[in-house]
Amino acid sequence: MLRLEKSTENKIEILSLFGEVDASNSVILDEAIQELVDGGAKSIIVDGEKLDYISSAGLGVFMSYLEDFNDKGISMKICGLTPKVHEVFKILGLDQLIPIYEDRAAASAS
Amino acid sequence: MVKLPSIHIGKLSLLLSILVWLGLLFVDLVRLFGMINEINSGISDEITWILEILFFFTLYGFYSYSIGKNIQSDFLNLLWRGASTGIFASGVALLIELFYLSLGDNKLATEPFLKNFFYHVNFALTTVFLISSALLWKHLILYQKSKQVVKQWQAFEFAMLVAMFFVFFNKNNFDYSFLFGMVILLVISAVLSGNLKWIPYLTFKEKWKSLLFLFIILICIGYLFRRFMAYSEAETYQVNLTDNLFLMALFGFIFIYAIFSFLVTLFNLPTSSVFEQKLTEAINFQRLSQSIQPGENEEQVLDILLDSCMSASYSDAAWIEINPEEQKTGANQLRFLDEPTKNELSELIKTHKSATEWASTDHPEMLQALAIRLAHPRYESTLLVPLVINKTAIGRIVLCKEVRDGFNKEMVNIISTFVRQACIAVENHRLLNQAILNERYQEELKIAQRVQKALLPTKLDHPKSFEICAFSNAADEVGGDYYDTFKLDENRYVLIIGDVSGKGTSAAFHMSQMKGVFHSLIQLNLSPSQFMIKANSALSKCLGKNHFITASIFIIDTAEKKICHSRAGHIPTLLFKAKEATSEFMLFDGLGLGILRNKQYENHVQEKTFTYESGDILVLITDGIVEAKNQKGQQFGFERIRSLVEIHHAKSPNEIQTQLIDSLHVFVGGVRMIDDDYSMMVVKFNNDN
Repeated sequence: MLRLEKSTENKIEILSLFGEVDASNSVILDEAIQELVDGGAKSIIVDGEKLDYISSAGLGVFMSYLEDFNDKGISMKICGLTPKVHEVFKILGLDQLIPIYEDRAAASAS
Repeated sequence: MVKLPSIHIGKLSLLLSILVWLGLLFVDLVRLFGMINEINSGISDEITWILEILFFFTLYGFYSYSIGKNIQSDFLNLLWRGASTGIFASGVALLIELFYLSLGDNKLATEPFLKNFFYHVNFALTTVFLISSALLWKHLILYQKSKQVVKQWQAFEFAMLVAMFFVFFNKNNFDYSFLFGMVILLVISAVLSGNLKWIPYLTFKEKWKSLLFLFIILICIGYLFRRFMAYSEAETYQVNLTDNLFLMALFGFIFIYAIFSFLVTLFNLPTSSVFEQKLTEAINFQRLSQSIQPGENEEQVLDILLDSCMSASYSDAAWIEINPEEQKTGANQLRFLDEPTKNELSELIKTHKSATEWASTDHPEMLQALAIRLAHPRYESTLLVPLVINKTAIGRIVLCKEVRDGFNKEMVNIISTFVRQACIAVENHRLLNQAILNERYQEELKIAQRVQKALLPTKLDHPKSFEICAFSNAADEVGGDYYDTFKLDENRYVLIIGDVSGKGTSAAFHMSQMKGVFHSLIQLNLSPSQFMIKANSALSKCLGKNHFITASIFIIDTAEKKICHSRAGHIPTLLFKAKEATSEFMLFDGLGLGILRNKQYENHVQEKTFTYESGDILVLITDGIVEAKNQKGQQFGFERIRSLVEIHHAKSPNEIQTQLIDSLHVFVGGVRMIDDDYSMMVVKFNNDN
């Protein structure tokens, strides 16, 4: 089960994830990010405070935007990950490519 | 063997009946000779009667055999058989009558022997006609057998049998007992004659023919009866053969049944078209309800449907409209209509508010046929019938008539039934095709499964200095996990384990690419990090946008007891050190393959070299094991693996692996509870080199 919430704070698009991202619902996440990009977002924070689990398919979604964001100058940050989910990012090495912050405040401050 | 005697029964009974008739003729002529010459021939009347009854029996035997043999013959054939026999018998009787008329006062005209001979001929032919007709009637009466009718018929046959022997105590007198017997038999005949169920099955044309045949039979009966009556009035025949209760009753029976049939057929003529129509409808319905045979298509069903609907409603023109999105082949089917007229009518229908509302309904499955009036010079009424398949309207049938309000309730009902049935047939056809397709996909997946299983090595390369075993299980038919080994030289062995993001078919394709990349690059004698850099560059060109592969590679040098290891985003490998009896998951930087698809990747991959000693264990796993969840939502995790390995470290790799997999299954609560691919490779180093 995955639930998404979108909000805007100081021109920063915040995408909050609730529940789990796996192969069956990674498309929803992909569509949400694509929507933000199409909407002209320049700065995106993905809030993973309530994210319990992310599968490799879910990580694939973040990965697929890396190059695109680089080209368009869009910044994407991830914040509030639980230790378990954070470790998944770390194992894959995505933490080297996407800045991961302790919480939302830290993410928007940087 | 069985057939031979049955052939003889027919011929035998015919032969016997002829012989009996000749005997009868001889006996009567001898008696006549005796009377004329006033000599008592000593032949009593009873002998004649016995021969007569024998004649009846043998004829009955012959005809019941010969009609029973042609049981398939239709009603018209049966009637024609009766009529032709009647014509023959009457014809011969007429010729004899004409012969005597032409003789005039000639002496021959009063010749008693000749007269008696002709009398016997007449008697024989009339009996043949009567008995054969009676058996034909039996066939018609018992056309729709019920227990009651069969019993009635049996009673009739029994009564006839009694009538045959009646002559012995009645002595051929026309008395009250004769009359009594006659009345009983005629009543039974009349009751039996109510069984006319064969008539409605005749078509209009057949009814006319059967009327003709029945008329011929009636004429023949009348004529032959008159002849018989003439004989019984004449005094020249000593033993009367024809004033027999049996024959008289047969006359009555055949006459009654023929007249009943004639009248019922006559009165059935006007309604026969309705019956035929219903029969056609039933046949059409049956054709529509048959599932579509292989080789046939939906168009053919719709073709039959359109014809059936037209004939059921006597429509003057019709067409089928299939919605553009459903249209697969060919143009709309038109009947007795050209394209311009059809377009004209379509436009007219569109102007009707009820028709447009009807066409734009949200619930096609609730749609009924709609009859509307048209202001068209030729076609004044039209009926719209929806074709609803699987709750969506795929199109409609439009039936047109030249009369106003031409569609009555019965027509609409039968047409709706036809359409529903045809739609079910089409739906079933589609479902069947779908099922066949699914079956094929299943087969293809099974093949894919076999092919993929073959991609994983069955034999793992290893020297005596370490033992190795591996295991892999896919969540679906095919999966994205990969492991392999390679022997670089006598002392150097490569191990690899990989995991494609996602699962299922797409993962399986990428897994096979991974295998190709591994076996190509490993031959180049690269270091683990160089291997990862090259593999990343190769896979960047192969993988889909949001796919990546994680991998861990180990190059084991058994001579120097060193292992060089690089990790590309893969789940850390567990290293158990026997000496310290501790273990750790080796986590260090290493980005998954295909995530960074440029030169930058080089900065994100490292390699570590470490030594090993005997008793050390490597456990390579994929994330399916770590992330496997139990019913409470807890993950199997790294710690359980670590402690299990520490507990069982003294065992062989195979035993350790079994221990881990079993614990995993117990943890999740069943073999099928893990919805990800999971694999494992266990290596244990031995004491000797």
